Amino acid sequence: MNENLAIYTQGLKKSYGKVRALRGVDLSVQKGEIFGFLGPNGAGKTTTIRCMLDLIRPNGGTIRVLGLDPQAEPVAVRARVGYLPGELHIDPNFTVEGSFRFFNQLRGGKADWDFVQQIAGRIDLDMKMPIKNLSKGNKQKVGIVQALMRHPELLLLDEPTFGLDPLMQQEVLRMVVEARAQGATVFFSSHILSEVQAISDRVGIIRLGRVVEVAQIAELIQRAVRRTHVRFKEPVDISFLASIKGVKILSQDDGQSVTLQVEGEMDSLIKQLASFPVSDLETERPSLEEIFMAYYEISHSEL
Amino acid sequence: MLTILRYFLMRNRGQILGWGLGLAIYGAFLLGFYDTFAGQKEELISLFKNYPPELMAFFGGEGLLDMFSPSGFINLEFFSYMTIIIGIFSVLTGSGLLAGDEENGNLDLLLAYPISRSVFFWGRMFGFILATVAIVLLAWLGFVILEPGTTLNLTPIELLHPFISLFGLLMLFGALAVLLSLLLPSRRQSAMLSGLLLIGSYFLTSLQNINKDLEPFARFSPNNYYQGGLAIDGMNWEWFAGLAGFAVLFILLAWWKFERRDIRVAGEGSWYIPGLSRSKRAPQPDAGSTD
Repeated sequence: MNENLAIYTQGLKKSYGKVRALRGVDLSVQKGEIFGFLGPNGAGKTTTIRCMLDLIRPNGGTIRVLGLDPQAEPVAVRARVGYLPGELHIDPNFTVEGSFRFFNQLRGGKADWDFVQQIAGRIDLDMKMPIKNLSKGNKQKVGIVQALMRHPELLLLDEPTFGLDPLMQQEVLRMVVEARAQGATVFFSSHILSEVQAISDRVGIIRLGRVVEVAQIAELIQRAVRRTHVRFKEPVDISFLASIKGVKILSQDDGQSVTLQVEGEMDSLIKQLASFPVSDLETERPSLEEIFMAYYEISHSEL
Repeated sequence: MLTILRYFLMRNRGQILGWGLGLAIYGAFLLGFYDTFAGQKEELISLFKNYPPELMAFFGGEGLLDMFSPSGFINLEFFSYMTIIIGIFSVLTGSGLLAGDEENGNLDLLLAYPISRSVFFWGRMFGFILATVAIVLLAWLGFVILEPGTTLNLTPIELLHPFISLFGLLMLFGALAVLLSLLLPSRRQSAMLSGLLLIGSYFLTSLQNINKDLEPFARFSPNNYYQGGLAIDGMNWEWFAGLAGFAVLFILLAWWKFERRDIRVAGEGSWYIPGLSRSKRAPQPDAGSTD
């Protein structure tokens, strides 16, 4: 395994009875990168993260976190990881500060309390409040601070901005970026594509327990199918368009207008169109949402 | 482990004090009645002899007449039913010792910290044992403090024996509840089954005095090996060792299971029985999670 990898999984499988939650997850996350992990509900995001912490045991495959096998050395892995669960629950009898002191003791003490108070202050978290009196968003802030408070080498964040207002979402994302700047690797799952796009170096898309794509967002957009409208100055026989590789005719109006779907490079299409009197050419890039929706859509044959 | 232990004791301090002081006050209150009770021995014996034989048998048969001895009095008035009363604490705390935090989602975060499952398990288990010891000792203190004011003439050590016997039974049912909470889909089911076994054991042992046909079955009842107040006259350490031995066995099995099981995200789990469960009813991967 490459020493520069913070997370490495190969053929990771996990079943619950007949439900195959992970069907062979292959992932490589470089040290020092922010990796967005995307997928529809039930795709296996949380299951993958929980395997990394040995909270659940995979049925097959390989998994390494910071070069360690979580099943063989769970304590060593957890000592270097900060974790924010997707379903955060903290003992309601604690105060915010009491919970941080308890979590700090679980790590053997030695937390930098100035840093804890600084990040709590940045997200307007009242340290004296009892956990039971906190709103969903404020509990989420407690979860974020406990994950960040010991400057972990790897941050595993399951929906970190869930329940936060937009201002707090931005502040949390800034903290994540700062953690990376200080050397941490960040692996986070999210449904909010804009935040994934804003901070991720790369994204992985998981669907039905398999990683179907790992790429930079710009690369995903670049690679995506685009829609092209062509208007000719006079009616032309457009049948030649169908023979161009990667081009599919979606509709034609009056022999002068045609809508095409183009996959890959535009070069062949433009060269062919050059021999016809084109009055207008318009190309639409799909939105990020459309790209992800294409990945998320499940055909029945895949079930 | 100390952090986990302290956390458990801190979280349960109200229960420990409530149960312990409650039993101590109740025990002290009962002891205060002994002299009056013993003074009415003749009248009460003639009254009991008019009881239906079934009722007499349920409360110990001819042994009921021992109630005028210090051990018999303490046994009848306190220890005979204390297994049910304080057993509620054991069963509820045992069933929630690990599964409680798992079902409410706390365990997912706690076990993501650098502590092994074994450390977590034993931290909680020692906390549970210490909590039970504290309750039993507080109750014992209530007896010890008031005893000099009575004609019981019992030493603190003699008074300690029935509490040791009680502790053995409580640990057995508490450990059983812990184990069942890791085997059954929810802590509620564990508490329910452990509670049923606790009550069933109590009645089986009591009813064997009425129906001798039950004796072969009552041999398997843990209550049969619980001496209660009669331990004042002589502690049966073999019986205690038997109760404690089964408690240790259940604890070790629970440890083994906890080491190997998947931690649920939140909510109750379910059983998957191959060949019987339909796929749509099979356990969901991340029940209660956002994924």
